[in-house]
Amino acid sequence: MTRSRSVVLGSSLVVMVGVLVAMGAIYMSPARAAVGPMPAEGLVLPADTRFVVGLDVRRMVASELYTSSTGRRPLRPEAFAELEARTGLNPERDVDQVVIAGGPSAGTGPNAAGIVLVSGRFDRYKLSRAMETMRKDVTWKDHQGTNVYLFGEGRKGAEAAAFLDDDTLVFGSRAAVEATIDSRVGGKAPLRSNATLMALLERVKPGSTFWMVGDQSLLSNLPRSLPAPGGSDGASLQLPAVRNLVVTGDLDPQVALDVTAEAADEPAARNLADVVRGLLALAALQGNQKPELKELASAVSITTEVNQVHLNARIPHELFLSLQPKNVAESPGVAR
Amino acid sequence: MRDATRPLPFARAAAGVFGLALEGMVWSRRSLLMAVLLGLPAAFGILYRAVLVARIPTQVTAADLYGVIVTAYVRFLVPLAALFYATALIADEVEGKTLTYLLTRPVQRAAILTGKFAACLATTLSLALPSLVLTFFLLITARGWGAVGAAVPDLFRDMGVVALALLAYGALFALLGVMLKRPMMPGLLFVFVWEMVANLPGYLPRFTLTAYLRSLLRHRPPSEGFSEMFGQVLPAALCLEVLTGLIAVFLGLSLWIFSTREYVMEQ
Repeated sequence: MTRSRSVVLGSSLVVMVGVLVAMGAIYMSPARAAVGPMPAEGLVLPADTRFVVGLDVRRMVASELYTSSTGRRPLRPEAFAELEARTGLNPERDVDQVVIAGGPSAGTGPNAAGIVLVSGRFDRYKLSRAMETMRKDVTWKDHQGTNVYLFGEGRKGAEAAAFLDDDTLVFGSRAAVEATIDSRVGGKAPLRSNATLMALLERVKPGSTFWMVGDQSLLSNLPRSLPAPGGSDGASLQLPAVRNLVVTGDLDPQVALDVTAEAADEPAARNLADVVRGLLALAALQGNQKPELKELASAVSITTEVNQVHLNARIPHELFLSLQPKNVAESPGVAR
Repeated sequence: MRDATRPLPFARAAAGVFGLALEGMVWSRRSLLMAVLLGLPAAFGILYRAVLVARIPTQVTAADLYGVIVTAYVRFLVPLAALFYATALIADEVEGKTLTYLLTRPVQRAAILTGKFAACLATTLSLALPSLVLTFFLLITARGWGAVGAAVPDLFRDMGVVALALLAYGALFALLGVMLKRPMMPGLLFVFVWEMVANLPGYLPRFTLTAYLRSLLRHRPPSEGFSEMFGQVLPAALCLEVLTGLIAVFLGLSLWIFSTREYVMEQ
């Protein structure tokens, strides 16, 4: 064998060994089931989930916007200190990711926010003690070897919480939490059977600080028309049906929001884009009273691509902060 | 007994040229330079493991760094490697006035270019892929093996994109090599000037190769300036269709030009 062929063979061997090790890592790793930004543990969510929202808390906390005192203020850091004293949990330090899912089985409705999965590093003993003592109506039961804390057992819309493992907490209705534990214990991944949502999750931009995907069934609940500007005679704008929605966002180096909505066809997408552009124009018209709104309108761009509408917003931190409601106590006149 | 009045069969001739060209390509100064260039990410991986991992804030994850490196790899280093090898396939023979010896052999011209292009691809892949794999493991395992499983699909995707990039840029620069006497400058201008168009708004990015290739990558490192404002992600199916089409067109044109062109050697 010639020297050149030896080199090619050697480098092929390096690549092959790398591929084998990588495949072994997939097989051995619990995270092998992760889909897009959804962690592996998120796949225990019900198959009929209509929407999933995710927040990468670590990225958010590390962002320039959050670390600036003005950006952090609305989240009341003193409340975090109080929470840490009671539960040992400092969300800024200990929580990695929050995933919220909604749908018929997740119990989304006026009295329920769906299922919430929180992953991070928890002081399990202290947190369990805090849950046991935080309310008087707390009871706990064993379900498939997992302690389920019930808040207001027997009451309609009773909530529950449980540790899926040392690093994952689940909140939601009792039925939803128990179903999640069943899936976890049985090694099932019901969400995988929801092909539509899986495909949408794959489209989420990796590394986004926050994201959301929703399918047609969620969006069918949205209003189909908007009152037309100046339409005192009942005139309204018809909104085209949206088949699915993917939202991703980042906080650094500026607040970036990318929304992709899929309409039924190309004309519907153009129609939807026109409606959104119209709303932006209305916001820009308010510029005389509130210049930030004008700037916001110019920071947003709407494009269409076949039956998809893309909304991109790039909002500088200063503008983003100026859009937040002013705290009266902090206004210069009052502060003095 | 082979009929000596007829050229060698295409596959046999191409395989012969492949072996010959591979010998000349792998053990060359060019390969040494390219090995250093394409090995930069792996060198950074070693530096990261040895020194930086303890100093970089934990918020900057190794996966983030790997994403930045892969994006830069596909944007700059891979096109450069393809440029250095593919433009030289025929241009070096013309420059060295050795093309005559090749063309007087009883082989089809298309077989010569096919064999040389295959050798170019094998050489660049041999240099680029091991570096990528090593960089992946050096960076992703820096804080333990826990994150490897989730990141492996990205590695496979990145390997595919690097191979596709070498094929696409290689085909384009092979075309430049058979068309022009000095293809290096136009090639460099293409990589460092024209490909910047990928950061502009509208349909202009679709006239670059990098817009399709970077859309196939899942890494989206934070960027600034034009690329931050207008950075587009094209649908993966469209990217694959366009890249496949362009590779076929570039290679087809290269073969046609090389087969029909009359090369005049300067005395």
